[in-house]
Amino acid sequence: MILSKEQQTEITRIAVFAGQILHQHGAESRLIEQTTQRLGIALGAESIELAITPDAIVITSLVEGHCVTTTRRCGDRGINMQMVCEVQRICVMLEKQLIDIKEVKKRLHRLKPYKYNRWLVVLMIGFSCASFSHFFGGDRAVYWTTFIASSCAMVIRQELGHRQHNPFVNFALTAFVATTITCLASVFEIGENPKIAMAASVLLLVPGFPLINAVSDMLKGYVNMGIARWVFSTLLAVSVSIGIVAAIELTGVSGWAL
Amino acid sequence: MMAFFDLFILFLTDAWFAWIPAVGFAMVFNVPRKMLVYCAAGGAFAHSLRFLLMHFSLPIEWATFVASASMGFLGLYWSRKHLIPRPVFTVASVIPMIPGSYAFTAMIGLVEINTSGYSLEIMRVVMENGLRTLFILTALSFGLAIPSILIYRGRPII
Repeated sequence: MILSKEQQTEITRIAVFAGQILHQHGAESRLIEQTTQRLGIALGAESIELAITPDAIVITSLVEGHCVTTTRRCGDRGINMQMVCEVQRICVMLEKQLIDIKEVKKRLHRLKPYKYNRWLVVLMIGFSCASFSHFFGGDRAVYWTTFIASSCAMVIRQELGHRQHNPFVNFALTAFVATTITCLASVFEIGENPKIAMAASVLLLVPGFPLINAVSDMLKGYVNMGIARWVFSTLLAVSVSIGIVAAIELTGVSGWAL
Repeated sequence: MMAFFDLFILFLTDAWFAWIPAVGFAMVFNVPRKMLVYCAAGGAFAHSLRFLLMHFSLPIEWATFVASASMGFLGLYWSRKHLIPRPVFTVASVIPMIPGSYAFTAMIGLVEINTSGYSLEIMRVVMENGLRTLFILTALSFGLAIPSILIYRGRPII
């Protein structure tokens, strides 16, 4: 198959678009690189070379000695596994020759991030943090305190996220609200050990996905991506702890586990 | 016999309380609806396995490592069966094991040292919690990566 310059440019654009979607929705670096390469090669390129940086990807396709290079910025759009699944599915279908290049392009552009009903998410996150309080050994009063605090916190987190606030501001404010509620419960001595509710109600703010991605990126040789993700999640944890400390100072409840 | 029965009950309650955070966080990550049930099963499996291992006095880091490695293999099976990337199942399933509380305690300790001055007691809390976070987290991610590191070695899984 001999490709014209235009066709090669088209292939490169499609591959970089797929890579951009994966990067924006929180896929790990190995997955971004492999999927983009497989897509480009299945579309007819000889090889695809990829440089992944924390906020952009650079891709070069090679066809009969000609190179086409392009760069895309990848702003964070929040973790969305459904998008990652869809891109992967398109890649597999293309490799099995179930769809052609036009169809690939159409499907990639048609992808829309699916979001769960926000109140359902609030309910489930409330119960999640309440379950954590059970793991820490809390009784029933502590369970419901945690449920209320983390549900309110989740509502605030969604509202601020919806208005595109800075994630650090968002996490600090959310932690402040959750801890204020649990500190009040601690002042009124609800439950046997109200301190457990303080620890459990902020666990919705643990940046678990970036942390796991960070370590697995570093393990698989993408050290710069791993460091970037690690620093980002550490900063998120720092802003959460500043929110917690502010709430503790405000309500005058002494002591986290310290 | 009675001890065995009590342990079994504890094991079941642990599994029951572990599926809730797995599904909750899977919804935050927008895992496709059909896959939520796998996240629930994986979360219950991994956390209750870790509970069992820790009950037989394995240190928490090694228990986490074994649990997440088994989760990695389970995720490998599901991923090949449904043609879905592995992190979709595995990350949500290990979320209940993430040492979030230790991490925040370490960070709050740092803030505390800044405001109230250095003391050996707070520094001990910071170091212990920080190191525990680091080791548990590494064990967790390393365990999940075991199938692709040892078996696939760079080849795509699906």
